[in-house]
Amino acid sequence: MVKLSRYILVLIAITGLAIVLPKLYWMAFAQPVKSPFVQYSAVDNDFLILRNEEKTVFTNTKGETFTREEYEARLPFVYTRQLLMNRTLPDSINGVEMDPHQISKYRSIFRLKPEDIRAPQPSLFPLFESQSGRVNLEMPEDFFRITWRMEFIDAETNQINEEKSRMFSAVLYKRGFQFPATSISGIPTTLKSCDEGYLVIDSANQLFHIKMVEGKPFVRRVDLPEGLKFKTIQCTDNSDKLYYAYLFSEDKHLYMLTQYDYLLEHFPVDDIDPEKHEIRIYGDLLNFNVSVLGEGFVRSHIFDRDLNPVDEYSEIWPVQSQRKEGKIAAALFPVQLSMTNPNSGFINFYFQPSPAFYWLAVSLLLAIVQFILIRKRKQKLRSQLPDLLIICLTGIFGFLAVNFFPNKFFS
Amino acid sequence: MWKAMIYKEWLKIRWFTLLYTLLGMLAVGYLFLKVQHDTTFNQANNYWNLILFKGLKFFSLLKFIPLAGGLLVAVAQYFPETVNKRIKLTFHLPFNENKVLLSMMVFGSCCLLVVYLILIALFSGIAAFYFPSNIILPALVSLIPWFLAGFSAYYLVALIVLEPVWKYRFLYLLVAATFIPLFFKNGPTAAYQPVNITLAVLTILLSISLLFSGYRFRKGEM
Amino acid sequence: MASYAIECNNLTHYYGKKMVYENLNFRVEDGSILGLLGKNGAGKTTTINILNGFLQPRSGECLIYGENSQHLSPSNKARIGFLIEGHIQYTFMNIHQIEKFYSRVYRRWNPEPYWELMSKLQVTPRQKISTMSCGQRSQVALGLILAQDPDLLILDDFSMGLDPGYRRLFIDYLREYAKAQKKTIFTTSHIIQDMERLIDDVLIMDYNCVLAQQNVNEFMRSFKQFYLEVEDPSIDLKKEDFVVNVEKVHNKVEIYTYESEAFVKKFLEKNGIQHRAFQQVAMGLEDAFIGLTGKY
Repeated sequence: MVKLSRYILVLIAITGLAIVLPKLYWMAFAQPVKSPFVQYSAVDNDFLILRNEEKTVFTNTKGETFTREEYEARLPFVYTRQLLMNRTLPDSINGVEMDPHQISKYRSIFRLKPEDIRAPQPSLFPLFESQSGRVNLEMPEDFFRITWRMEFIDAETNQINEEKSRMFSAVLYKRGFQFPATSISGIPTTLKSCDEGYLVIDSANQLFHIKMVEGKPFVRRVDLPEGLKFKTIQCTDNSDKLYYAYLFSEDKHLYMLTQYDYLLEHFPVDDIDPEKHEIRIYGDLLNFNVSVLGEGFVRSHIFDRDLNPVDEYSEIWPVQSQRKEGKIAAALFPVQLSMTNPNSGFINFYFQPSPAFYWLAVSLLLAIVQFILIRKRKQKLRSQLPDLLIICLTGIFGFLAVNFFPNKFFS
Repeated sequence: MWKAMIYKEWLKIRWFTLLYTLLGMLAVGYLFLKVQHDTTFNQANNYWNLILFKGLKFFSLLKFIPLAGGLLVAVAQYFPETVNKRIKLTFHLPFNENKVLLSMMVFGSCCLLVVYLILIALFSGIAAFYFPSNIILPALVSLIPWFLAGFSAYYLVALIVLEPVWKYRFLYLLVAATFIPLFFKNGPTAAYQPVNITLAVLTILLSISLLFSGYRFRKGEM
Repeated sequence: MASYAIECNNLTHYYGKKMVYENLNFRVEDGSILGLLGKNGAGKTTTINILNGFLQPRSGECLIYGENSQHLSPSNKARIGFLIEGHIQYTFMNIHQIEKFYSRVYRRWNPEPYWELMSKLQVTPRQKISTMSCGQRSQVALGLILAQDPDLLILDDFSMGLDPGYRRLFIDYLREYAKAQKKTIFTTSHIIQDMERLIDDVLIMDYNCVLAQQNVNEFMRSFKQFYLEVEDPSIDLKKEDFVVNVEKVHNKVEIYTYESEAFVKKFLEKNGIQHRAFQQVAMGLEDAFIGLTGKY
């Protein structure tokens, strides 16, 4: 039992050290990784890349460099106001008139990080009145959840509004909703142009659009292709009012849901995984730019407004683990442990095993040092074998841990 | 053994435990007084919105209260044993030495557990008056690691206080300083959901750690 | 065959590289009272710690009632009353609480001697032991040991903090109690005069070795001090085999030896050592202890 308590303490120490030591190491030696910023120029029909190196460099895929003014002129949908001010906004591109109002109407920016999805999700939402006749949205007095029925809970009294709950539940039931809901997506803020309610997946994987119109439920079931399941649905509030949401399927495809006729439009690109990579979708008058950003790479897919592929570009750069300081860390630490992860909002033990096997050499070296220490202390080798094994497997963490909790037992 | 040991341990920690329970209850009371005040001035629906979508942790006042409890009970219980190496008396009692230590640990843990359960029950009870389960349950998920930290701190203090050699006390303290922060990482409400079980297992494992320093004391390490 | 309460065999211990003792052997017979004497640092506390299982000796073992002191069974521990140096007790209790606690621990608990002692203390019933005087605390600790009714009492420096009068009373009481109830006592004390009234056997330790282990009366009979004044102060007697120790100030010499007066006189005569004022000096145990171990 006493020996067991020691091994438990060694385990605890290894856990703590495997988190703290790499953290300290990176605090001391981490260098910023500068990733390029890739945009698509409809003027050049080429990608423009902004590199933050010692000096900011504006370049394209052919390696040409530009001045800031040249760069901005090639991105009229991004720097519209600047170009207007300089009076250099072109009249038309590819035959499409460059009307500032149209440009602004069709411009949209969407960003989704893995930590937005892989995070605790709320299960209570405000259902706004979508046709209040007021300019501004108001935070409703009650919040809803969809469990065995749709329930509205009044915040002031913390009581269920029975009448409203029954009304909405009945309509949901009539439309074939299978309680409970498995995911509820919407934009639960009053800071949006208008309310389009929520997109809700029920327990039979059916997609519903639920909103409140003049106090009454509006429920619409959306037809989905057989077997289509979504990882996440991200509602949008774009000024073009063409789409309700971006939908990311389990099989890593990207869809948009059109307003009014509820059509699912598919982007012809695969491997869009918002659980692993950051996704950015820029919409403008002419194109959609779907960018996938991961550690050490960026991938941009350009589509026209009808979602036909136009162009694509990708680039990779060395990440921290491939650089000198990363290689040293990989040799020093058999594993780097962290409670947080840039790709998740959850706290957990995130293991990052060493990609190289140099750590084995370091571990063996430490095991030899320990062996010498054992000899010096005239301890019996047999009783110390588990310690040596621990050091071989866990390197510096184990070496410190077994010496923090001395292995001194009497028979 | 149990009757005698419980009596002795209770004599050591009773006032600290009662005082701590009282302070903990006051803290929970204050917490909801503030909730009451904020919902009155900021409207309940806006307050809910802040909790649900803006990351407001209305319970964050409780963050270090369980930790303080664990430290307090552990110090109250184990410090008197080490003054003048009084633990010798305890080891000389006609019981198995490890069992004596375990009985002390189990009793201390039970006291801590009872106090924590009282605080959690009080918290949940009052919270149920203001919030639905959709807000209370994520809050409880966030509270769990803080309470586990209380237990872990209790076990680590027992280990450190009973250790006879100062050098190793310092090293154990270092280990505690790397381990205890694991329970206090910042994240959204309920972020600890996936790891609470693992942390609970580690905490339970840690409970017998005082046997190690107890053994070192008995073998005359100095 | 005599049975032994304590048997220590080939006890060897080091602190780091510093040797405390090597191959120490001693036994304490059932029903006897043994006093362990030694200068500070000679290993008294080490021995007590080994006896109580608070120290693992480098090698060798101590048996208490036949059980290795490193793994004493609970029932055996109940037979041992242990007074820690400094009369350490649970000072966060008052005298009623501590009695209640120990009465639940020991089956043979007999509170009478405890309350008898407590009735003489000027303490309030709810007064914590920590607020008591040193002497009062020591009486609580002693009272508890008596109430425990152990077969073997290990008393580490029991007389510390006791008034002289009370010390005398306690020693007499203890001896009477031990002899009547056939208890075994293993004790150390700084105040050696006390031991004389108490102990049957004496074990005198010096750095790294045992100087004497025998019946205290026998020891006092056989160990002698002779006083003489020599004419030639440069004479060195230290190296002579029969001499245990010599204390010399100018020409005044104290010789400590196990040999008889006649032997010493004959030796002086044979070696032509001119002297005067030769006499045997009567010694108490303390004198004998100092004579044996030296003043420094």
